[in-house]
Amino acid sequence: MKKIISTSKAPSAIGPYSQGVEANGTLYISGQIPINPETGKLIEGGITEQTRQVFRNIGAILNEAGFSFSDVVKSTCLLSDMGDFKAMNEVYAGFYPESKPARAAYAVKSLPMGALIEIETIAVKS
Amino acid sequence: MKRSLFIVVIIALTLSLSLNLSAQEKKIVRKVITFENTPAKRPYSPAIEANNTLYVSGQIAVDQATGKLIEGGIELQARQVLKNLKNVVEKGGYTMDNVVKCTVLLSDIATYSTVNQIYMEFFPKDPPARMAFAVKDLPMGALIEIDAIAVK
Repeated sequence: MKKIISTSKAPSAIGPYSQGVEANGTLYISGQIPINPETGKLIEGGITEQTRQVFRNIGAILNEAGFSFSDVVKSTCLLSDMGDFKAMNEVYAGFYPESKPARAAYAVKSLPMGALIEIETIAVKS
Repeated sequence: MKRSLFIVVIIALTLSLSLNLSAQEKKIVRKVITFENTPAKRPYSPAIEANNTLYVSGQIAVDQATGKLIEGGIELQARQVLKNLKNVVEKGGYTMDNVVKCTVLLSDIATYSTVNQIYMEFFPKDPPARMAFAVKDLPMGALIEIDAIAVK
């Protein structure tokens, strides 16, 4: 019933969680921060670069599970600064040009490893 | 011999037909829930339905007519957020009674009990599972944001 999704193309977990878990055709992807999977380190750069890396990581996990961005139904975007909202949206919109997922977005006090952004994702295979 | 072969063929045909039907029933339909006045350039939909589950975007106290955050304090904002949430849930063909999970984001944890009073008006019986916490900031400087998942 429960299937653990694991890929070397996305960052290894930095704590006691799986990259993704699939159950009953629904894929739950752990919050992704902009870690380069090859170095295990947070990438350099601002919100635009960090958002792009987050999406590379989400894409790798979706792909490993046999899902695509068009299957995503819900995103939760956590920012370290609400002032990054617009720049984040510009990158975000490129990954969801149509059939856009539901979303909640807000700024939190701090994110793991001092990241500027973390995105959690739910996808349902259609 | 001919007769038993005939029976085998009939059984095989019936089986394949019913398998086909169940495959069609299992096909998951993804549906975007949107309104006429939803801004086209917004990178998210008000809600998505898939697999008899409705995922509703975080709602803030935006007046649907003006597209602006309403004036007023937490009571007015909480009521507007829940009105907006109900509106999206119902547009998706669900009811507030179908809501199984909410996330309540507050800009100030001191508003928790005021929000609960208004929240109860919208979920008077068997309220959904919930998570509530204060965040650093919400979009447009809102005081409250609520997202939801509903299951039919």
